[in-house]
Formats: sequence, C-alpha cells, structure tokens
Amino acid sequence: MSNFPQLIANGLVQGLFIAMAALAITLAFSIARFPNAATGDVMTAGAYTGLATQSATGSLILAGIVAIFTGAAISLAADRLVFRKLAGRAVVASLVASIGVAFVIRAVLGVTFGLSQLVYDIPLTRAKLYWGVRLTPLDLQVAGAVALALALVFGILHLTPIGRQMRAVADDRDLARVSGVRPERVMLALWMISGGVAGLAGMMLGIKTVVEPELGWSMLLPAFTAAILGGIGSPGGAVAAGLLLGVVQEMSTPFVGFNYKLAIAFAALLGVLLWRPSGLFGKREGVR
Amino acid sequence: MSLLEIADLRGGYGEVDILNGVSLTLEAGEIVTVAGTNGAGKSTLAKAIVGLLPVVRGVLNFEGQGILGLPPELRMARGIGYVPQVANVFPSLSIVENLQVVGGVANQKARMGELLDAFPALAQRRRARAGSLSGGERQQLAFARALMASPRLMVLDEPTAALSPKMVADAFERIRALPRFGVSVLVVEQRARQSLAVSDRGYILDGGKVAMSGAASALLSDDRAASLYLGRHAGR
Ligand SMILES: Nc1ncnc2c1ncn2[C@@H]1O[C@H](COP(=O)(O)OP(=O)(O)OP(=O)(O)O)[C@@H](O)[C@H]1O
Ligand SMILES: [Mg+2]
Repeated sequence: MSNFPQLIANGLVQGLFIAMAALAITLAFSIARFPNAATGDVMTAGAYTGLATQSATGSLILAGIVAIFTGAAISLAADRLVFRKLAGRAVVASLVASIGVAFVIRAVLGVTFGLSQLVYDIPLTRAKLYWGVRLTPLDLQVAGAVALALALVFGILHLTPIGRQMRAVADDRDLARVSGVRPERVMLALWMISGGVAGLAGMMLGIKTVVEPELGWSMLLPAFTAAILGGIGSPGGAVAAGLLLGVVQEMSTPFVGFNYKLAIAFAALLGVLLWRPSGLFGKREGVR
Repeated sequence: MSLLEIADLRGGYGEVDILNGVSLTLEAGEIVTVAGTNGAGKSTLAKAIVGLLPVVRGVLNFEGQGILGLPPELRMARGIGYVPQVANVFPSLSIVENLQVVGGVANQKARMGELLDAFPALAQRRRARAGSLSGGERQQLAFARALMASPRLMVLDEPTAALSPKMVADAFERIRALPRFGVSVLVVEQRARQSLAVSDRGYILDGGKVAMSGAASALLSDDRAASLYLGRHAGR
C-alpha cells in the first residue's frame, strides 16, 4: 500500500535539511577541527529571526537573508568569544564548549521568543501530483531554495580564491600557512558560510514544520550521522549522505513507524562505521 | 650581512627543548646542507626557520631583520619558501589549485606559466588532484608551490626521501640550479654525501646542536664526519 516514489520524494525534501546541517558541520569540522554541536541551535536561531522578519515585513526573501545573517553572526561571535580561545587544545574541549554555546543560544531564544510553537504565516497551498508524487508548491520552493544555497556554497568552495584557501586549510593547515594563506581570513569565511547555511536551513525547516526551541537540536543527530557517513570533512559527501539518510528514514517508516526514524539513522551510522570507517564517500588516499 | 643568521636557537614542541643552541649562517647565493642522524633535530630546525615550531628562543634574522615574532604566513611573505619532509602538497586540490592557493604572488598567471614550463610533468596533468600524483610528481609540485612566490630562501626538508634513485639525481640538479635564479637553499638531507656534493657549506647536527660545520668539500673529506655522520667513504 505504501507509495515508494512518494516516500522517496518526501525523503529527499527531508534530506535537504539534513544535508544543509551536515554541510555546516563538516565544513567546521574540516577547517576548525571540531564537531560543532551548536550547529543545531544556530539553525533554530535562523528559524526564529526569519519568522520574526517575515511577520514584520511579510517578505520571505528578506526573512531568508536575515536568517542567513543571524546564523553567520552567531557563529562568528561564538568563534571570537569561545572557539578561537580553545584552538590547539583537545577536540573534546571545543566540543563541550560548543554544547555550552548551544544552550546559551537556546536560552536567549527562549527569553526572546518564548517556548511555544510558532508557524510561518504562509497561505496553505494544495498539493499537486507530479508523476504520481504528491508535492506542494511550497515543498518545491523550499527544495529549490536549498538547492540554490548548496550550489552557491560549492561555487564558493571550488571557484573562488577564498574557497580554495578554505580547502587548502582543510587539507593541511600548516602547509597553507607557509604558502601564505592567512588563517584568520579563512576562519572568518568558514563561520560566515557554515553559520549562514545553518541559519537558512533552520528557517527552511521552520517553514516546512513548526518553529520551536528544539527545532535544530533534534536535527543534530541525523546531521552528524550524515557528516560521518559522507566521510568527515567532505562537503559533497555530507550533502549526498544527508539526502540518502532522509530517503532511508522515510522509506523505513512504513515498516518501523515514525518514532523509530532516529533509530534508523543510528543503525545506518553504526553500519557504516563498522563497514567503511572512512564513510561512504570517504577519500581514497590514505592518511599521511 | 648574511641572508639567514641563526644564533643560539633553542626550542621545541613543548616543555623539552629539541634545539639546544643552534648557530648557523647562510649567505645569499649559497646552498647549505644540514645533515645529522635520525632525530638530531634537522626537521625541527627547518620548522623553527619557517615559523611552525611552537617554542623558539634565540636569534633568527632574515635579511638582517629579526623574524622570530612573525607567523609563518608573514615569513613566507618576506621571502622564505618551505618544502616539508612529508605532506608537502594539498592532496585534494588540483595541481593548478596547489599553485593558485599561494598568497601574495604579483602576477599569478605568468608565474604559474613559468613554473609549469619548468616542470613539464605537472603541466601535462594540471587538472589532476595532487593526491593522485606519484612520489616524483608530488615532489615537483611541492617545489613549484614553494617557488610560486619567488622566495629568496628555500628551506627543503629531505627533498629526495620519497624518490627513486634515478629521480634523486634530477632533484639534486634542480637544487643546484636554484641560486642562478636568485634562490638560496638550506637543505636538510639524509643523503648527506650527495647533498654536500651540490652544496657550498654544511652543518652536522647532533642532539639539537651543531656538531661539525665547514666547507662542503672539507666535510666530505673529513674522517670524523665520515665515520660518525656520513656513512663510509664510497671507496672503502
Ligand atoms: N611534532 C612533534 N612533537 C613532539 N616531538 C617531536 C615532534 N616532531 C619531532 N619531535 C621530536 O623532536 C626530535 C627531533 O626530531 P626531528 O624531526 O627534528 O629529527 P630529524 O633530525 O628531522 O630526524 P629524521 O632524520 O628522522 O627526519 C625527536 O626526538 C622527535 O621525537
Ligand atoms: Mg626530519
């Protein structure tokens, strides 16, 4: 009775959010070298400031811009105030600090916006059939916006000097420095991009679902899973794994039920860790 | 004024000093070999010069100015190029990107053209990821990358370690040619004899200190240097 094309389509839409969060995480991991647990709450912040902007101005475009800037600004501030001071120390120190940052962000959001669920004020549209798959125009718009954002990030990484410098630092920070790459500029770009992506992802997820304090936090596990599945530090892998994970989660719901989605993510993670420790799309060349 | 002047340099990676008072000079136009047994501190000295050693004290002057307080990227901007012992290219970047990423190059396109002409093996595979290159190609790319910003001093850490015997000779030829292009060379080598053969002078490190130094020819014919540090004489 289940309609597999429909589940795949739903999974891809869901996977786009995981993909964006995983991209934000994997970029930070490969350049700042720690798993940033604040990513989820940066998403939540984007969802709230986007919502506030939209209800004040009525413009979703403006809301998206504000969400991106919110994510970038929070991430830059967290770097300046916390992460930078822990650079060079054990990774666990930065990870724990990022959990602390996550709680601070959530507390500030709670005080500012309250704890109840909010929704974006968007006129309901009727779902249409596309090749037997039921999607709303909103689904398509959200997917289009996310795809555009992903394309933009990959364009920056691969076609601009700062993107090249970011990839160089991800490969080898010391070699980048002796090649004249200034780490401060790269870190600035990293947090702007990673934070901006997270902020926008949060807003998109908020549009698709509801805006509530746990919005981003609850995405953290699937996002980390996708980042690892994709081969930690590989942006393309993170996005591909995010989409795959979204589809796997959706496809499994007819069998295991909605509540076990996360368990599926975890099982996938464990399987890959045991079977292919460098991730599904891990780099071929070995460690040095 | 020496191009590079090092006096009583001490330091290491933390509490323990690996360098225990190294003194060394390098004149413009010279090739200088730094030899020594495994763990003598050769790579550590190279890192101290380029700015990658966490703890350093003493005198380190480049073109007459103290550079000990400068971070690696600014030392590079002053004219110091570096080819590390391992991990000397960006594996996920293409050959061209490995060269483009170098900062502060005045006319990037022209300079890249020059270097690709000088290393035809790289020019053929310019879009290939550096991680997919052979040991010899990788070494050439590492050289080209370090030369991109037209440095006046190249610090080379065991540039022949990963090479086949035939390519070793090529690499030393390339090093020998550098001063003609205005690039002086400090080369750390296990193959001390071959390296001294293309050098003007040499230093032998032992336990983080200079144990012997002198003209390359003098070191090559010195019995104590030979028996302790350079391996046996070829003929014996
Ligand atoms: N990153 C590091 N952290 C701590 N100690 C280090 C580090 N790198 C090297 N050492 C130590 O410093 C000492 C000197 O090492 P160094 O690499 O300078 O020797 P080397 O002369 O280059 O030897 P080799 O011929 O093996 O390359 C060694 O005792 C080594 O264990
Ligand atoms: Mg060494």
